[in-house]
Amino acid sequence: MSLLGAPSHQNSDQLGRSLWQGSSVRWILLSIGAALVVSFLVLGLSPRDLVPGEGGLQLTQRFFKAAIQPATDYQADTVPEDAPSFLGQVGSAVVATIRLAAAGMGIALLVGFPLGIFACRHRCSPGSENCLLRRVTRLTIALMRSVHELIWAVIFLAAFGLTELVAAVALAIPYAGTLAKIFAEMLDESPSSPASALESVGASRTQTLLLARLPGVIGEVVAYAFYRFECAVRSSAVLGFLGIPTLGYFLKLSFDELQFNEVWTYLYALLALVIILDLWSRSLRSRLV
Amino acid sequence: MDNASETDAFVLNGASVRYGEHLALDTLNLRITEGERVALVGPSGSGKTTLLRLLNASVIPQSGTVNSLGVALSADAGSTAAGRRHQSRIGLIPQDLGLVPNLRVIQNVVAGKFGTQGLLAAIRSVISPNQREREKAYTLLARVGIPEKLFERTDTLSGGQQQRVAVARALYQQPEALLADEPVSSVDPARALDTVSLLTSLAEEEGVTLVMSLHNLDLAREYFPRLIGLRSGQVAFDSPAAEVPEGAFEKLYELSEEELLG
Repeated sequence: MSLLGAPSHQNSDQLGRSLWQGSSVRWILLSIGAALVVSFLVLGLSPRDLVPGEGGLQLTQRFFKAAIQPATDYQADTVPEDAPSFLGQVGSAVVATIRLAAAGMGIALLVGFPLGIFACRHRCSPGSENCLLRRVTRLTIALMRSVHELIWAVIFLAAFGLTELVAAVALAIPYAGTLAKIFAEMLDESPSSPASALESVGASRTQTLLLARLPGVIGEVVAYAFYRFECAVRSSAVLGFLGIPTLGYFLKLSFDELQFNEVWTYLYALLALVIILDLWSRSLRSRLV
Repeated sequence: MDNASETDAFVLNGASVRYGEHLALDTLNLRITEGERVALVGPSGSGKTTLLRLLNASVIPQSGTVNSLGVALSADAGSTAAGRRHQSRIGLIPQDLGLVPNLRVIQNVVAGKFGTQGLLAAIRSVISPNQREREKAYTLLARVGIPEKLFERTDTLSGGQQQRVAVARALYQQPEALLADEPVSSVDPARALDTVSLLTSLAEEEGVTLVMSLHNLDLAREYFPRLIGLRSGQVAFDSPAAEVPEGAFEKLYELSEEELLG
């Protein structure tokens, strides 16, 4: 039998076989397509909705024209005398945005890190990989993640009044849940050879989890935490809509007064903030991994 | 076979280990005395790794008994404090070494003591090893020939050097017995010779029992006084290196009709 000889009868029959035969991929794609069509019909969406009406069109034009002329000073005719300078206000909004994001993220890390360890399967003894503590922790994490930070903030607003601390806690709850989930998954998938080597010479599972598994994924963990901090900055800006003096708060004020040039200044400030964070996290990441 | 005497390192009496349907070790009888140097030879799947895991109480026999360094293995070995302490008396150099790549060499070496440490002490020794730990790690690295690598990141070392780190980590345990699983399978022939001669001479100097699984029959014959041939979870031969029966090695690696058709 030669390796490159004519294929046997049985093999040549199989040559024309579809690579996707029996695969669920096409059904998944078809279902997504069908869901798209059905939801468009149900919602009564049509492409015409994307074209603004007469008045809307003018407003839209004004809005986008303002993009090339972000404000450097108040645009309104009358400004209270004790108001800070416009750029000073932008600056303090940026600081407030970072402060809220950092506070929320700090709490999220403090809570999410231990939760992630308890949600990791290597914490349970072998043979009972889904131990009670792990299941309880995972349920807690799911509950924390299932409610958006804006909704937590609205709930807390009603209960405690909206202070910066309350907003930070509202932000921290879903963030801690997400951090814990991803962190636990990273630990679950971490290389097990160092851990099993040390466990067979008497190391405990907690020791190997923290000292043999964690070091292997620490770079990923830090990178992910940074990415979440970036998200936290955006969330912190959005929480301004509820009255915390972050970028969102001033953005909404200016928008309500149709001061689009001011709106763009705040938007550019947010953009710059996110870009700077990204550059910073990238340089840190390259040193860590 | 009678009970373990004081000079026995490992005694197996009819020990069997089964993974699901697969019988990895089949009623094994074995006695290894303190200070002995033994090579385990045999093809892949013959039970060498399982036997090593049995010796350090990582697996428990389903039937038969195992006495390891004077301790009779019981079902909870490894998970109790006593089980952990027992395991910490046996050094291990796994086939894939099991080093944490992005930690420094010294951090991997001090990990050898985890079995006798609590969680906080272990964390402290990895984050900030004290003077005594530094000196001990340095001395051991000097013994395996790479003292200058003490503070290097482990994954910057060559394969042969990483192997030496794994040896230093095992020695850091101050073990009464050393187990090595195919330590030469991942390095070139010259390194293989180095590693085997290093481990056998270290074991001899320290009077430590050494059990090593090996694919390389020439190395096994040259460096080990006693050879145990395993096949299908059973002892095919067990004799001094010079007295291994003619053709016994070849027979060990000969594929059975069953395996060929399998």
